[in-house]
Amino acid sequence: MDSKTTSKLLKIVLLSIAISFVIDKVVFFGMNKISDKVMTGQAIGKLNHFLSVKDSVDVLVFGNSRANHHINAEELNPNSFNNGTDGISIAYNSTLINTLDKSIKQLVIVHIDTKNFFDDNYKGTDIRSLKTKYLRNDSITSYLEQSNTISILQNFYYSMNYNGNVLGILKNYLNPSYNYKTYNGYDPLTVSESQEKMRDIVLSKDSEQNCSESLSINPIALDYLKKIKHFSEESSKRFVFVTTPFYNDQCKADNKIFATLMTELGLNYFDYSDLFISENDNSLWKDKTHLSARGAEAFTTYFIQEVKDMY
Amino acid sequence: MLFNSIEYLIFLPIVFIIYWLLNPNYKNQNALLLISSYVFYGWWDYRFLSLIIFSSFLDYFVGQRIEITEDQKHKKRWLLVSLCSNLGLLALFKYYNFFADSFAITMAAVGWDVNDLTLNIILPVGISFYTFQTLSYSIDIYRGQIKASRDIIGFFTFVSMFPQLVAGPIERASNLIPQIVSKRHLNATLIKTGLFQIFIGLFRKVAIADNLGVYVDSVYANHEIHNGSTLLVATIFYAFQIYFDFSGYSDIAIGSAKLFGFNFNRNFNFPYFSRTLTEFWRRWHMSLSFWLRDYLYISLGGNRKGIVITYRNLMLTMLLGGLWHGSSWNFVIWGAIHGIFLSLEKYTFSTFKIKTFNSFGYIYTFIVVLIAWVFFRAEDFNTAASILSKWFTLDFGSLFIGNINTFINALMLMLIGLSIDLKVFRSNVALEDYGSKFSTVKLSIIVSVIIIMLCLFYSTTENFIYFQF
Repeated sequence: MDSKTTSKLLKIVLLSIAISFVIDKVVFFGMNKISDKVMTGQAIGKLNHFLSVKDSVDVLVFGNSRANHHINAEELNPNSFNNGTDGISIAYNSTLINTLDKSIKQLVIVHIDTKNFFDDNYKGTDIRSLKTKYLRNDSITSYLEQSNTISILQNFYYSMNYNGNVLGILKNYLNPSYNYKTYNGYDPLTVSESQEKMRDIVLSKDSEQNCSESLSINPIALDYLKKIKHFSEESSKRFVFVTTPFYNDQCKADNKIFATLMTELGLNYFDYSDLFISENDNSLWKDKTHLSARGAEAFTTYFIQEVKDMY
Repeated sequence: MLFNSIEYLIFLPIVFIIYWLLNPNYKNQNALLLISSYVFYGWWDYRFLSLIIFSSFLDYFVGQRIEITEDQKHKKRWLLVSLCSNLGLLALFKYYNFFADSFAITMAAVGWDVNDLTLNIILPVGISFYTFQTLSYSIDIYRGQIKASRDIIGFFTFVSMFPQLVAGPIERASNLIPQIVSKRHLNATLIKTGLFQIFIGLFRKVAIADNLGVYVDSVYANHEIHNGSTLLVATIFYAFQIYFDFSGYSDIAIGSAKLFGFNFNRNFNFPYFSRTLTEFWRRWHMSLSFWLRDYLYISLGGNRKGIVITYRNLMLTMLLGGLWHGSSWNFVIWGAIHGIFLSLEKYTFSTFKIKTFNSFGYIYTFIVVLIAWVFFRAEDFNTAASILSKWFTLDFGSLFIGNINTFINALMLMLIGLSIDLKVFRSNVALEDYGSKFSTVKLSIIVSVIIIMLCLFYSTTENFIYFQF
């Protein structure tokens, strides 16, 4: 390689780094400006909405899509917010719980899916769903850095924080899906007539569940759970942990071990995974893991009776 | 080591710098390439390096025996040693369980229960690719088309050169060995075209293919609950997922090789812009299709032994080509569909004395390819049959979108990928040469934009579809 070729190569590499660095910062700060105004949608809107109301509501719900679709906290208190978000787990929830103001009295309901706690492959990567707040929210940034799920490139290319979310943010910026001021975070699942047929096929399908062979608690999940426990001990809040119903949960050993763990940790845990096991009513379900709006209302009514004394 | 990993981002520049510091001593450069190729492969599983080393030793030795043996019978015997050993290893690691299973099912059908004969065998990554590469070397020497290599390091480098080791392109000895045993040069054109192709390849793989895969996987995992419309869209997405995945991989491989002064053969040439299936196979996975043509179809007699033998050869080539992709009857059916339509085309062309179809040929070709992809993607025959039955019974309804964000991302990126393809296709400049069109500044801007697009749209899927083959 002659010196002319070497200098050309260096020029391309250095120019590419410099130009991409500049574009990256323009995109990042531009997206920050836009995304801060977005209060709808799961790309960032619901997270923004949560951060804006988290210290002013009386009841907060954390969890995944099952929490989002199953728990209507408004039945417990009109001043509530359900922060259930698709595809997330204990790492995401633990991080957001630790952003709460410890001095404010609140009821915090944390939805638990026990399978995450017995999944050897669980690495806490659901925390990456908070990357839109990386370098912009101190508490979240600190958790993300401790989690080792942030790429080293992310410290150079900040726009990676918006990976996979750009179109969703732009869409909700230009055309919000709903009026967030009247939204409490709970999204009941309605089943249309055309979906009923598909739902019935899904429920009748005799799927074999792969129950976890390992019945030892995943240390990463346990660590995040302990962070919530630690936070609960220092705060004025009451915490309730709950597993909502499954259509046919064939794996029960994990539930028992998890319930024992929660007792040992001194945390209030309610396992309702089999609540509707004897009900032969498909209308309670959207699919095998999600209740329909009707099922969610039935569950919420039952659940409220259990926790109303704590509230 | 994966091309889309941080490890490769560090590995490539380190090897590149040391490599050019060793210039102009190409023998030392080859030694470095060989060591780094073994590191590259061993990163995945160092145990299987022994297979590559064995294949390399075998063909290095056999190649020389074929060349120096004057008696035709003995030449043939040495060739058979190479064929049986290489194909034997491939059969053991890739097809043993398939044939053991098929045997047990056949025996059960006639009332004889056979105990489970399958073994717990791991498929070594890249075995199908480097086996074909070493086979072509021995066959070319047997045919007198090339000379046997006397440079052991150079030959081992030919077999295991890291950019093409695990998923091709399947390089011919006639193209690569002469480059390996001569001094190489890096010029501005190679740098520009190489870097451009690496970044385009990364975009195709990491942004387009992986995002399409999210929707495809979710639909195919629950195919029974979806209607024909959803399955059709998922299969169209799959057609582009596999194209952008594999062509993206090839782009990174070819681009990386250019940075070391090597020119690999082209592997994809916009296959979906084909008016016939025959043309499709001249544009899709070219290094494999030309390999099958030159070493299987022609060895079987090609089109020189009458019309019936020609069609038989075509069908056999496509059936074995299908089986090359994996040990499953679905791949055989995939090959059969292509074989049948290629034969029909051949018949049509010879009967009506035409060379290609009109513009409707684009649609016809895509439909045939799409139907065949169902067998390629589906878990088993029943799944594929169920999907096709929904199409043919017109079981269409409203489209399942799933996560709207995922769907729109995938659709938008696919359209961007197709637009880039269309632009390059219309320019009549090969993608492999396209980077040379740009000035240094313009190329840097293009690379920067691709980097930002990758930051915003990369997907975290870690594997390449063709690794399983």
